[in-house]
Amino acid sequence: MTDVMREAMARLSRVKGVRGAMVVDPEAGVPVTTELAAGVDGRAVAALAASLFQRAGQALRASGHGALATAQLEAEAGHVLAVEADPLLVVVVAEPRAQLGLIRVEAQRAAEEMQ
Amino acid sequence: MRRADIGRLSGKLEEPMQWFVSEARVRVAVLVNRSGQVLAQHGFASQYDVANVAALAAATHSSAHALAELTGAGRWMHLHHAGHDRQLFLAPFRTPAEDLILVAIFDEESTLGLVQLFFDRFAEMVRAIPDFQVTLERSDAESFESDLEAGLDRLLSEPPPEA
Repeated sequence: MTDVMREAMARLSRVKGVRGAMVVDPEAGVPVTTELAAGVDGRAVAALAASLFQRAGQALRASGHGALATAQLEAEAGHVLAVEADPLLVVVVAEPRAQLGLIRVEAQRAAEEMQ
Repeated sequence: MRRADIGRLSGKLEEPMQWFVSEARVRVAVLVNRSGQVLAQHGFASQYDVANVAALAAATHSSAHALAELTGAGRWMHLHHAGHDRQLFLAPFRTPAEDLILVAIFDEESTLGLVQLFFDRFAEMVRAIPDFQVTLERSDAESFESDLEAGLDRLLSEPPPEA
């Protein structure tokens, strides 16, 4: 399983514009496997992305929309994408001009491989 | 640490402690030194609880330190215990004044990752306080017990914070 996660994150990190890809334990908010460019604080991203994903998931469930599958944050300096890979989470940090469609497909593929 | 120092330093720790509790979303937190003197706390209902946790934290720090040396693991970073409903996080950090230990208890409102993240920032905030950048005089044998209780006396004289 560890090899599957590592290979999936290595593949994701090779997508143009990706600055970091990691598998996160959402219950603990800690990274399990990471492929990060210099300057990306994996621990901080893992903790905050997991917290955000869980909060958003709670809000969706409370409003009757079911479980959260994907969360995507867009900011001036880049994107953060989180995809559920029950019981884990795939988190990707990308540059503003990254190919988001491709990143989403690869992140989803990684999540499916890990489930 | 002497009684006079504790009174002075505790006041300066209130803001970073409140910040940590709020950001990390922990239920209970206490900051102690290696002697078990309480410098700041949040969420404890009684002096008895704070004193017990402070003493156990200091003892745990000593045990973990000894174990880390014995096994060649170097300085230990943190201890995490995941209980059924609540989790315990215990971590030491260094300041020029002395080594301090933060104990935090949290539930499903937070995660280990969040607590770790904001602990690192809390430690930086404490180190940035000028009073923690100088070496402090240690208690002597005669005044140790009185100095040990100084933090508890101070905490008890204040209204208990909301849990």
